[in-house]
Amino acid sequence: MRALRAGRLLFAKDLRVLGRSRGLLAVLIGYPIVIAILLAIALSGGDRRPSIAFVNLDAGARTVQVGEERLSVDDYAKRLEDDVDLVRLTPQQADEALADGRVSAVLTVPEGFITDLQSGLKPPVLQLATNPRSPIEAQAIERNLESAVFRLNQALATAYVTQVLNLVDLIQKGGTVGIFGRSGTLLGLEESSRNLLQVQRALIADGKPALAKKVAGLRDYITGVGGNLELAKPAAQAIASPIRLEVREGAPGREPLSALGIAGALVVGIGLVGVLLAAALLSAEREDHVLSRLGRGLAGPGTIIWQKAVLAAVACTVVGYVLLGIVALTTSITIGRWLLWLPALLLAGLASGAFGLLIGALARETRTALLAGLMLALPLAVIALIPGNDIAYWASAFAGFGPAARIFQGLLVDPDVTSSTYVGMGILAVVALVYIVAARVALGRRMHA
Amino acid sequence: MGAPLLTARGITRTYGSFEALAPLDLAIARGERIALTGPNGAGKTTLLTILAGVQAPSGGALEWADGASPKVGWVPQSPALYPRLTTRENLRLFAGLEGATDPAATADALIARADLGDFADRRAGALSTGTMQRLNLAIALAGSPSLLLLDEPTGTLSPDQRVRLWGWMADLVRADDMALLFSTQSMDEAARNADRVLVLAQGRVLHDGPAADLDEAAFMALLESAA
Repeated sequence: MRALRAGRLLFAKDLRVLGRSRGLLAVLIGYPIVIAILLAIALSGGDRRPSIAFVNLDAGARTVQVGEERLSVDDYAKRLEDDVDLVRLTPQQADEALADGRVSAVLTVPEGFITDLQSGLKPPVLQLATNPRSPIEAQAIERNLESAVFRLNQALATAYVTQVLNLVDLIQKGGTVGIFGRSGTLLGLEESSRNLLQVQRALIADGKPALAKKVAGLRDYITGVGGNLELAKPAAQAIASPIRLEVREGAPGREPLSALGIAGALVVGIGLVGVLLAAALLSAEREDHVLSRLGRGLAGPGTIIWQKAVLAAVACTVVGYVLLGIVALTTSITIGRWLLWLPALLLAGLASGAFGLLIGALARETRTALLAGLMLALPLAVIALIPGNDIAYWASAFAGFGPAARIFQGLLVDPDVTSSTYVGMGILAVVALVYIVAARVALGRRMHA
Repeated sequence: MGAPLLTARGITRTYGSFEALAPLDLAIARGERIALTGPNGAGKTTLLTILAGVQAPSGGALEWADGASPKVGWVPQSPALYPRLTTRENLRLFAGLEGATDPAATADALIARADLGDFADRRAGALSTGTMQRLNLAIALAGSPSLLLLDEPTGTLSPDQRVRLWGWMADLVRADDMALLFSTQSMDEAARNADRVLVLAQGRVLHDGPAADLDEAAFMALLESAA
């Protein structure tokens, strides 16, 4: 009871001190929020278009006719430029540019590309060389080009299917046809059936019913083929676009942020607030020389550490909800699961606060604690935002940032709350506990040295 | 003097192989004013912090009168207070931490007692050195101690501030029948304000007797003999 009372009194004292230290408050809370918002905008504000060397080894200026479309390598390149910046270079120049880092990748159109496209016997292959020193950018470029090639393939497939459907129509209804430079008139199944009907009637009139019956069978066959070809039309269209995506523009005037951007803002915001606030509050106790007075049974190291850890967690939760509120009010992203955010933000704040407390317990003065906190927290928070990298995850997990980033992204985008969210919360609790124990030991030594 | 309030038996303090305090026996009675003096590194602060409960002794035992641990007021050398809180808020906070049932009333009483009324709502960080030291001392009184321990309380004070502080200390001892143990570098200050002087050097007691028995020359002779 006495420890609880002491903790409550020190909690209220810290709030009062913070309220009177506007400069400190600006550094401890304002600065992280500003950094977080800037980071969110930077991470979300439009993907950077990578610069890619374009090498065309299919020297001939030939084109391929697909339906109504005539396509050359240059046309292909122009379509790719919707997604990336292409720099036309020779193979040697491209290799040098990739080695120097002037381009992020080299896209090569091999010899015979148009011929392969024309023949349809084997699919033409584009070659992409990326820089192994930039694996993250290489992945992004691959995704960009895969997307571009997919869209182009879809356009070509649609053109091919349209051509096939025109031929089916021609077979059914007849008309003028031009293939491989030659043209002629096609009778068509419908006209053939009508002609055979006339022949059938003439044979019956001439007293040749057996022969007329054979013609009738031939007509039935033509009718059947026509019906089947009619059924083939929707099937062909379905093959051309098995899944179609309809894209609609959102409401104007609201800048959409990505989930990564929001999670990044939260991790950096909470990470810096928790670490800096806890480190500064604890080291200030030492700077004010009150530890020896408190340590005489008024408030033990455990009470002081827990009180400040809880304060940091509460402050981080408030900051987290403020950031989420800003996102909800100013962007098109819907923030849900408001209640589930509570344990996530509290635990993330507790972990980063506990990390800051250890720094505060080890530092001799507040300025040192703040500097050390900033130097450790900022890079770890940024590392936590590298997607899909286990080393980055565990490197930043030791301050709780990695698990926090994954929890936040999960809460933002996952349709269902998965067990990994709860596992992440468990990791945050363990991290917090480890640092709280370590900080308590360090503070105890300081108080009773 | 009456029965000892506190008896220290053979208390020691070592840091690794360094012996900061050799086995020391000490008895402190109610109403007694004891000066602790000696050169730098003699073990004065170490002894005070052990008696204050800031750190534990490496060996020996502390025995309190009636078997109960009386309340100790601790006044460290540097003011131990929150500079961004006002005088009143500091006193309320520490009275609350000491377990006072009405911290606000305790704070008001301490403000009156330490003559801090003019500075009650001023931030502690903005107080003059002498006033801040009075607040530092008033905080130590928040738990109604029977033993007050002061580590070089006048080190940063001007001569007139020293006189006022010692006058107040004498009143406190008389009024509350509390014991006073303070460290000082000044033999003169020890002789003027203590009934008894304890001289420490290299963690050992060189002298323990009435202040009147030890003048400046005898003090210097003691230190030279220990060197």
